[in-house]
Amino acid sequence: MHILRVLRAFIRVNLQQDLAYRSDIAMQIVLSLFWTLWEIASLGIIFSNTPSIAGWSIWELIALSGMWRLVNGFMISIVWPNTELFNRGVREGTLDYMFLMPLNSQFHVSVRRITIWRIWDVLMAAIFIAVGLSNSAQITTLPNIISFVVLTLTGLVIIYSLWIVLIALTFWFTKFDNNVTLLSALTNTGRFPATVYPAWLRLIVTFVIPIAVATTVPLQALRGELEVWQILGFVLIGVLAVFVSSRIWKVGSRKYSGASA
Amino acid sequence: MLTIYKRFWQVNWAEQWQYRANLFMYLAYWLVAPIVYLSVWTAVARAQGNVNGMTANDFAAYYLTLLPVDILTSSITYHIFGYKIQDGTLSNELIRPTHPILTNTLVSNISFKALIMLVLIPIWIVLYALFQPTLTITLGSFLMAIPALIMGFLISFLMESTITLIAFWTTRAYGPMELFWAAGQMLSGQFVPLTLLPGVAQTIAKVLPFQLWMYFPVQLMSNKLTPQEIALNYGLQVVWLIALFVLFRIVWRAGIRKFSAVGG
Repeated sequence: MHILRVLRAFIRVNLQQDLAYRSDIAMQIVLSLFWTLWEIASLGIIFSNTPSIAGWSIWELIALSGMWRLVNGFMISIVWPNTELFNRGVREGTLDYMFLMPLNSQFHVSVRRITIWRIWDVLMAAIFIAVGLSNSAQITTLPNIISFVVLTLTGLVIIYSLWIVLIALTFWFTKFDNNVTLLSALTNTGRFPATVYPAWLRLIVTFVIPIAVATTVPLQALRGELEVWQILGFVLIGVLAVFVSSRIWKVGSRKYSGASA
Repeated sequence: MLTIYKRFWQVNWAEQWQYRANLFMYLAYWLVAPIVYLSVWTAVARAQGNVNGMTANDFAAYYLTLLPVDILTSSITYHIFGYKIQDGTLSNELIRPTHPILTNTLVSNISFKALIMLVLIPIWIVLYALFQPTLTITLGSFLMAIPALIMGFLISFLMESTITLIAFWTTRAYGPMELFWAAGQMLSGQFVPLTLLPGVAQTIAKVLPFQLWMYFPVQLMSNKLTPQEIALNYGLQVVWLIALFVLFRIVWRAGIRKFSAVGG
């Protein structure tokens, strides 16, 4: 398939770019390990003062921290580098060439730069989630596990769609090169269950900048805290988000006249 | 000398005023961590009455006091100076008869803070209304904390600047910088009031400079320290300030020599 071939080419080019800076990758992995230790230490400190936070045990928070790592990895490996490329493209006019290519422009903008070695973060996330869940006493059922997986994917799709909308806004407001700052600043809220936050912040991280939808919500489904209608509701929002964001992208890109024009 | 600083102030203020709309966005980075930790600790305190003697209100008051202190004493040298070593534009500043970091970068730091404090005030008032903590700040404690804030800022500025200078040898200094930030979050009192750290970590944190620009001014302002503790921490500030200034000068001199060797 055309799209898959292009994606493979992108990945190959990105891999070559990354491998040109091998000591950089080693440094980043050391830092990532260090932050992992930091996180475990911080959870250790919190739980040396309390047996649970808002009903969540330390193992559940370790699983949550894995979920957060997944979202954060998505931010670092795809959202940040591609936003940077996109903003530069708008500023310098090089984005024009991208629209000339026989390739879906939204797809192109999303995957042009992928920090491949960040797959490491996904691995760490999987370990955290697996270790956390297998140690927490929660008894879970097959339907709960399925809704956990579905909601994790839904959450990532919703965050992806929001990102597309945010960068598409640049077509209308060309000076909006802080487009993802709020999104990345709020990512850190995903390290704790959204239920610890005061109502106003919970609303923000669930509906405005929906970090919690990919972190807290799937784990809530796993804990059996969500009703069927809520799960279906989130999936429906995910589908709508994909549709609306690609519409906004299309309308915006048609409006785009280019910096050089 | 004063005229030099005044000029740098005018240039930096005018430059950053251009980007005032972006300040709201940058402020988000400063706001998120304290609000997250505030929420976590108040949730814990509410569930069990108190954490080691600290009530939910104590945590809210602590973090709301910490917010402006964090902005006032943190340093952004890495962001506004680091790249100049990397891409060589530092050469332009080296031919001037002023110290690039102790004049331009220092003033740029301060003007950035002044602007972002203007943005913080309305947001802080909203946060105050949302959390409604009982603050224990008095006029006396506030005045007492002013020298602590100034020295705290200078300590964090010198420490961050010295680490930025590692780039003279490694071109990029984000590695040591991230370690510095991580250690800072844990040991400055941002993640947790230091009294809640486990025994050994607490002792280490109290001797290291990190708490001198966050935990100490916050607690001093909130009337939480005994006269002995205040005297001890002020003493520590003076010692660290001198030590870091000397270290900064040494590293700067060695680095400059290295830099000209590369560029020349």
